[in-house]
Amino acid sequence: MSLLVDFAAWLGTTSLSALVIGHDWLVPAIQVVHILAVAGVLIASLHIHLRALNLLERDVAQEQVTARFLPILWGALGVLAFTGLLLIASEPTRAMFRTIFWVKLALATAASIGTWAQGPLALRFNTGGVAVSPAQRVLAVATLLVWLGVIYAGRWIAYADAWAGAPA
Amino acid sequence: MSLQSVALWLSETPLALELADSNWLFGTVEALHVAALTLVIGSIALVDLRLIGVGPARGTAQEVLERLVPFTLVGFALALASGSVLLFANPIGYSENFWFAAKFSLLALAGINALVFHLFAQSKLAEPGSVIPRISGAISLSLWLGIVIAGRWIGYTL
Repeated sequence: MSLLVDFAAWLGTTSLSALVIGHDWLVPAIQVVHILAVAGVLIASLHIHLRALNLLERDVAQEQVTARFLPILWGALGVLAFTGLLLIASEPTRAMFRTIFWVKLALATAASIGTWAQGPLALRFNTGGVAVSPAQRVLAVATLLVWLGVIYAGRWIAYADAWAGAPA
Repeated sequence: MSLQSVALWLSETPLALELADSNWLFGTVEALHVAALTLVIGSIALVDLRLIGVGPARGTAQEVLERLVPFTLVGFALALASGSVLLFANPIGYSENFWFAAKFSLLALAGINALVFHLFAQSKLAEPGSVIPRISGAISLSLWLGIVIAGRWIGYTL
């Protein structure tokens, strides 16, 4: 934990942290952008996985839908990472010292890989035309549930207790 | 019956007391509200962007509407249900909060905009170069952005 404590202490001394802390309106404004980026992630993932479940754009090949919505997913994830860093900078001793924050990051990584994998899976099974394989359907359901877990974990950061011995 | 007396009555209901006592219940409903809201915003943004003439949604504006509006409606129903439960957590605070009133005013305007679109603009979707659907999409996008902003500001001003 000492590495995290050092990082939090250093982050607290940066001009980025001073900038975010120095303006009361900035934190909720960053959170608004964060929520809009979550919406981008959710709608891109829904398109990709609901296509695999034959519930959306079923007349289009899976790889085409994936190719169209993956750039939105990556862009939104980039915005989430940047705004997330700004939010951590506003309170360096908070999120990083809660288990749920790391659970959220792990789930987000898993869900991102699961969403990306729909394209390669479609090519791998090469089911032809607009058909999808059972593996893609299982991946779709599992990944959408993990994305819901990311949202749940993200909201839970506000309520979870910090680790014992974490900086106040 | 005044708004304040309704708020006072709501604050004494079993649901309000349960929400006040239980961290997990409030957090869980709040997470559901965020998930539902992002579904509404994500789906409606794709529709609005398509009306404006940009974005990744495939097909004509009418096809995009038919494909994505069901997601918006499901998301809105979930957001309304979860938001109604959250209201019980602090009814007096919400009833006196400017941003709460602003959020509901913007929601009402978004509803009016959707109705006006349905009645007057949807029939013009097939007309090449028609600006009315574009204006409606831009207004909707702005209103929903305002709804997210007002919603987030409630948490900081209660």
